[in-house]
Parts: sequence; C-alpha cells; structure tokens
Amino acid sequence: MSSHSAPSDDEAPGLYLHVPFCASKCGYCAFYSQPTAGRDMPRLVSALLEEAQRYQAVPAVRTIYIGGGSPTSLPADQLARLVETVASTWPNAEEFTVECNPGQANIEMLSMLACCGVNRLSFGVQSFHRSELELLGRRHSADEAVRSVRQAQDLGFTNVGIDLIFAVPGSTLDSWQRSLESAISLGMQHISAYSLSFEPGTPLYEARRLGRIDSIEEDTDRAMYELAIDLLAAAGFVQYEISNFAREGFECRHNMGCWENRPYIGIGPSAASYWRGERTANVADIDAYISRIEAGRPATEQRQQPDRDDCICETAVLNLRTRRGVNLADFQRRTGADFRKVFATPLRRHEREGLIEAGAGQVRLARRALAVADSVLCDFSSL
Amino acid sequence: MDTKYIRNFSIVAHIDHGKSTLADRMLELTGTITAREAKEQLLDDMDIERERGITIKASAVTMHYEYEGHTYMLNLIDTPGHVDFHYEVSRALAACEGALLVVDASQGVEAQTVANAYLAVETGVEIMGVINKVDLPAAQPDVVAEEIEHVLGIRKNECFAISAKTGKGVRELLDAICELLPAPAERGSEPTRALVFDSHSDPYRGVICYVRVFSGKLRVRQKMRLMHTGRSYLVTELGKFRPAMTPVEELGTGEVGYIVANIRDLADVHVGDTVTDDANPAPDPLKSYQPPMQMVFSDFYPGDNTEYSKLRAAFEKLTLNDASFTFVPQNSPALGFGFRCGFLGLLHMEIIQERLERENDIDIVQTAPTVSYEVVMSDGQVRRIGSPSELPDRTHIQELREPFVRLEIITSTESIGGIMKLAEARRCKLVKTDYLNPTRVMMEYRAPLAEIVYDFYDQIKGISRGYATMDYELTDFEATNLVRIDILVNGQPVDALSIIVHRDNAEQRGRKLILKLKKAIPRHQFEVPLQVAIGGKIIARETVKAYRKDVTAKLYGGDVTRKMKVLKKQKEGKRRMKSIGSVQIPQKAFMSILDTSD
Repeated sequence: MSSHSAPSDDEAPGLYLHVPFCASKCGYCAFYSQPTAGRDMPRLVSALLEEAQRYQAVPAVRTIYIGGGSPTSLPADQLARLVETVASTWPNAEEFTVECNPGQANIEMLSMLACCGVNRLSFGVQSFHRSELELLGRRHSADEAVRSVRQAQDLGFTNVGIDLIFAVPGSTLDSWQRSLESAISLGMQHISAYSLSFEPGTPLYEARRLGRIDSIEEDTDRAMYELAIDLLAAAGFVQYEISNFAREGFECRHNMGCWENRPYIGIGPSAASYWRGERTANVADIDAYISRIEAGRPATEQRQQPDRDDCICETAVLNLRTRRGVNLADFQRRTGADFRKVFATPLRRHEREGLIEAGAGQVRLARRALAVADSVLCDFSSL
Repeated sequence: MDTKYIRNFSIVAHIDHGKSTLADRMLELTGTITAREAKEQLLDDMDIERERGITIKASAVTMHYEYEGHTYMLNLIDTPGHVDFHYEVSRALAACEGALLVVDASQGVEAQTVANAYLAVETGVEIMGVINKVDLPAAQPDVVAEEIEHVLGIRKNECFAISAKTGKGVRELLDAICELLPAPAERGSEPTRALVFDSHSDPYRGVICYVRVFSGKLRVRQKMRLMHTGRSYLVTELGKFRPAMTPVEELGTGEVGYIVANIRDLADVHVGDTVTDDANPAPDPLKSYQPPMQMVFSDFYPGDNTEYSKLRAAFEKLTLNDASFTFVPQNSPALGFGFRCGFLGLLHMEIIQERLERENDIDIVQTAPTVSYEVVMSDGQVRRIGSPSELPDRTHIQELREPFVRLEIITSTESIGGIMKLAEARRCKLVKTDYLNPTRVMMEYRAPLAEIVYDFYDQIKGISRGYATMDYELTDFEATNLVRIDILVNGQPVDALSIIVHRDNAEQRGRKLILKLKKAIPRHQFEVPLQVAIGGKIIARETVKAYRKDVTAKLYGGDVTRKMKVLKKQKEGKRRMKSIGSVQIPQKAFMSILDTSD
C-alpha cells in the first residue's frame, strides 16, 4: 500500500447504506432508485445486511448514514431490521442519520428510529410551495413536511435537518425567501440548500431539452443563493459547506468525513466506497446486486485506485468545498504534500483575484467565490 | 559517367494528380526498389507529409535505366506540391534539365499545374506533358490534352498518356525521358561548381547537402568551399540516393548526390549556394535563385510564461530540418515573452504548429497570422514589418505598402459570378479571363496577399462546390490606404489582437471583429468590456457579460470520481489561454479576428 493512503487505514470510516427504493421517482433525481411496487423488500434488506456483515471486522465506524432512494419507503419492520442490525454491529457511531420522506415517516416509524439509536434525521422537504413540489415530482405537501418535522422534534430528536431546492423553474426570489423563512421557523439544526441541477437522464433535464421548462436566470439563481447565505446566517445557521448550513456543532459529520477525504464504506446497489485507498462503486441494479451478494460475490463494479496525485487533488477539491477550507497541517498529514507548494500557481492567481483567502494555517474559498466555486476548484483538479 | 547518358528531371503536379505514385512506379520499373519495398509514396518521409498527402521537402533519387543499349542515369528530384513551397519547386527545378508536368486525366489542368508550368518555363527546363490516371472511368485524356495545349502551350500530340497506378505507359515515358530530355552540358574540365538544392540535418553526421554538379567533379577527401560563406570543409563522404544513401568516390558533371563534410549547423549551409574546389575555385558561383521569403507571420507565446525557454528549444529543433521558417524573440506588452515566427505561407505555418505540438508538450497560444508590410519612413528609409504592433507612429510614415500576388483561379463557368463577387470584395483586380474549354475558366487576378491568404481558398471552394483551385505568387509591394485596428480588452490595448486593414472597410471589420471576440472570450466573474479603436478613436464597444453561477450543488461520497473528471475537463478548457490582466483570452479569440464571415 502506498504511503499516502496510510493515515486512512487505521481511521474509523463512515458507513453509508443505500436503500434503492422510492414510492415514485422525483423529476430532478439522478440517484439510483426503483419504484417500490412489486419488490421483494425483505430480500433486499437481507442482502444489505449480508454485505454489511462483510465489514464486521471493521472495529468501529465514525458515522452511519442511511439514504436513498428513500429509506422510509421500506415497510416499517424491514427498516427496523436494517437499523437495529447495523446499530448493534457498530454501537459506538458518533452520528446515525436516516433520510426521511415527509409523507412516509409516520410517528411509529420515527419512534422506532429513536429507539434504535438513530440520532439525526434528514427530511427531504425541498420546497414549501405546492407548484414547486409538483414540478419537482414530490408526493408530499408543505403541510405534511411541517407535520413530520414537528413529530420528530416532539419525539425528542435534537438533530433534525431538511433539504431545500432553489432556482426551481417558476420560483422567484420572493417565493424562495418564504421557503427559507418557513424552514427557519421550524427551529431545526440543519438546512441543505441546493440549486436545482438538471442531471442528464432525469425527467426535468428532458423537459428542459424539449423546451417545456426553462432554467432560471443565472442572476436570479445567484441572488437566491446569496439570499440563503444571508438569511440563514442571520437566523444562526453557519454555512459550513457550499450547500450546507447548520447550527454550531450540528454539522453533518458523515458528510464532513467525505469532504475531509476520510474513508467510507458504501453498502447497497450503486453505493460508493473509499476504503483502503480504493474508490469503488457497487453495481447499480437491484437484481444484479442481490444475486451477487447471495452468491457470496463482491457487489463492486467499478474500482479505481487513486494515486498520490489523485489523492492530493481530491483532498484539495473536497476540503475547499467546506467553509473551513484546507487545514494545511491536516492536508500534509493526509496526503504527505505541502498544499501551498503543490498548488502554488492556482493559489497565486486566485488569491490575487480575491477568490481564495488564507488565514492561519487555513486556505479557503472567499465568500464571493462560492457561487462560482467550480471555476476555481477545477484548477485544483489535477497537478 | 558520360553526361550524354545522364538525365536530371523533376515531376511537378497539382496536389493528388499522382506525382508520388509515378515516382514509385519509376523506382520499381528501373529496379531501384522492388515492388515489395515500394511503400506507398516512398519519397515522402515525414509523418505529416504522408498524413496530409503532400510533399514538403524535396528529395532526390538516382535510377539506372537501359535504353537502346545504353545505361542511363536518371536523377529524379522530387518537389513539394503546395503553393507555400514554390521556392522549393524552383530550387529543385534549378538542378534539372527537364520536368514532367503531370495532369490528372479526370481533373484537368488546375491552378497549381499552371503555377508549376510558369516556374518551369522561368527556370528554362524542358517540359514534358504527362496525362495520368487514364485508367479511371472518368478520364478524358483528349479533353485534358486540349487544355494542356491551350493553357500551357505544350502540343497535345506530344503529351504522354499513362496510368502511374497500373504502370501503363510508364516504360514509354522512361524511354522518352532518355530520348527527349536534354543531357547536362559537358563541362568536366572546368572548375568544380555544384548547386546545393537542399539540405537536412543528421544528428550523427551533421548537415547533409543535396547537390547537383554543373561542372568539374567532387571527390571524397577533397577540400571543398561554400562560395556564399567562403568556408571550407573536408568532404568525408559523397553518395547517391538509391534511394538509401549509398557512398561513392566521386560525383561527376551532371550527377546528383549528397555531400557529408562535417558541417555542424544547418544555418551554415545556404540552399542555393555553390560548392567549389577550395584549391581550384571557380571564378563565379552558379546563378542562384531568390532565397525563400517569409510571407506570413504569427506570434507564438507559451501559455505559461515559465515555458519560454522550452519553447525556444522546440523552435531550435524545428529549424534543424526547416531553414525556411524563422523565429525571433518578441516581447508583447500584453502577452509577455514569445516569438515572432515567419512562414512561407499558411500551410507552412500549420505544419510547423502541428509539429511543435506533436513533438513537444507545450501549451501554446498563437496569434492570428499576418502578412508582412513595407513601411516607407519619413526619411525615405524602407522597413519591413511582420506585425501590426511594429507599425511606427503615423507621423513617421510616408507610405505603407502591402504585398500583392498574381492569383490564378481555375473554376467551372457557373461559379464565375460568385468568385468574382468575392474577389471584388477582397480588393482583387481581374487581369484576364481565359476559357480552357466551354465549361472551365481560368481567371488571373492581381490580389493583396492579406486578403487571400487566410480563408479565401475555403470560400472559393465553397462557392464552386469544391471545384475551384487557386495558386498565387508574390509579385511586388504596393502602397494602399491601410489603417490599424486596435482592440482594448478590459480597457487595456492588446497588441496581439491588432490588425492592419484597408481604410474603406476598417470600420465594418472592426465592428464585426469585436462581435467575434465577444463570442470567443469566455465569461469571467466580472464584465469584460471590448473596444475597437482606429487611429486612437474608439468606434465600437461590446461587453462580455459576467458569469454568475458555476458551482456543483451536491458533492458527496458517491460523486467524487465523476465530479473530479468534470472539473478536470473544465480545467482542460482553460488551456491555450493567455492572461491579459485578469482576463483569460483563449487561442480561438486570437484566430477569430481573421474570420470575416458574418
């Protein structure tokens, strides 16, 4: 094993479980998922647990995250089986998140999650406007979203987050402000605010291609983003990553692990891992996944071993997405490289243009660079 | 060898009319190479030449052929087939007594055929008309023979109908070369004079000179002198191309071969120079021909300023095999340190550019090519400039002259109107029109080089649906009403974007130009104003709008590999850009200023 990946070997990884089912597919979603209808859910859960068992020898995981798809589209008993087993295998995770769909997560399901040690919930609310929810293909209503979040809070969850999407066709700066205010008023700990992206292969992408919908003006998109940063800051949310905001101490540790380029293990169809210096991805097909697991074979389909340069660049790009930025000492420890030295050329230019700012032992994107981060980060994508 | 049995000749032809195939067939029929050895187009030995199907460097091969009981020595001197390399054709012809003018039996006489015929006539060599590809179904040898007689004045009944591909008629052609082409003059007893008609650099043996002996002889271990530089060298090897380099003890009058004489630097050998015996020198050198003139200039800058010395090394390497390309250091206020390069023409430029990129890993930004101008200063002094930025202040200029060419276009009669309209818009003056036959016409123009050097050929190809061919040759420089258009990017003048144009269409060109630039310059995080100035006065303005949003909203564990790829691609898109202040100008922006289309 090459030296650069050595630090990650003894590091406790994050654990991600992918539930590849949804009640219906959302118009913007490019993640792998299938409709629940007619699926053998217990069999899939067994396969997930079987794959998870293969990592039994890993003594501890830092964080657990069950996402999808939609974990709450599983029957309650199956979700309980999944959560319980994982929690008992790795009882000491600092953070255990389950993604919830507002319309699906009922009070029984939520209390079961609480009982099993889940300590963080993330609700896919996306919007508080009916027209936007319809366009996005979401089945729930704004009221259901509010109700679900309140139920979770009433059950004692103290770390609850929601996802919001802005720059949805038809939205305005005003409608976005009202969505943000609704979110803030719910008194949660975490908000992710994503600019809508049109991913190839999604219904929204097709609709735009056919001219049925238009993406929103770039200036408006930018203004919506800036508005989110300002309003959320005023409400006490700290922006800690390009699209993520949290109250002090409630940053999603699982995702921070990814941006710190720490190792993680992905379980389930299409799930990706960064483990023992290798980036792998499981086969993105439920049946193929199940049959491989049941046959005792690896579910891995893509395999790539980042070399030292890849590791340096990945670490730089991922770190720079966070508001903490690159911690020079951590960077050196993780990659064995001097960040300021290997990226001297792009740093010189972007610092001169005020897109990157340096503090004590830290280098990060300037606020004005956030909305155009890719145009800066691309200069760190190769050496 | 008795000069009576020596024949020195070249094959000249329009591109793709079968020159190289004919050469291959001759090599085979004379047993110089076997059919198995006959790689396609043996004489073209550079990759780019083969890829582009054109010959760039002349080369020479010696063949032996039995005719009427005598062994003849046939020296075939190959010539390039493109307008940019005219001077190489003339220097090859200067080493010959005869030339085969090859014309495709289905295509007929083309512009290059005419240009080549002119060159041959000017050099005074005997021309034999050869109609090739008579095996093709579309062949019209009789029609083509008529054309040859009409346009080139070669009697139609004296043309040879052959198929280089099948070999039909090639033996008869070889017989005719022995029978009809003149032998070299017998001057064996005169002092040695040999013409250097080409040279190349060999990493182990130094410079290899290609020579044709006109009088006396050359011997191994002789001390020879290059008359132009006056330097003397010991001849260490003489030889012939058969086609591999084959050493001989001497080269006699009329013969063609090579000299190795421990000459280190290609620059020490002037092609066109005369080699003589150092102990018994000839009183005068051979009549030389014009040295090549660089007609197209372009600046090359390293994308990254720290690669300047790497770029210099790359150019030095290139000049080892191409002495007709020049480069001098250039310091642009906007672009930093780079090189001003001179080329024979646009194709020559493209070839150099391609080799530079293929053989070196350097990110290059190249400015739009421009022709050279003559500036008559107030004090009467005449200066040659190869860049609009070198243009002195107007108050110091008495007259500004631009290069003019004789332009020949051969096309179908139905496209005459379109071509004449284009030519007029490009300030070309029709000199004469000549019908080759009822459907084909040859037009001769007097044209400003600047107007035809860039996209003119593509345009007439378009107008004539691929039918028209053109060729041109520099005639002189003439004073015209020229002005410089300057471009300001973000308020800063960018010398590399300046162009010199005729005053009558300067304003229109300027307006078009910034529209092109606006499209070519990527959006930045701030607005980039573009301005056009003529004579210091701003005449137009455009703005490249700022981009406001460029960020991946979601990047989690599952996306890392894919997103890194996307970012790398985005970075790749920034290559071949030059920073001017905080504005990134891509390669295509520099080139876009030449695009005159709407």
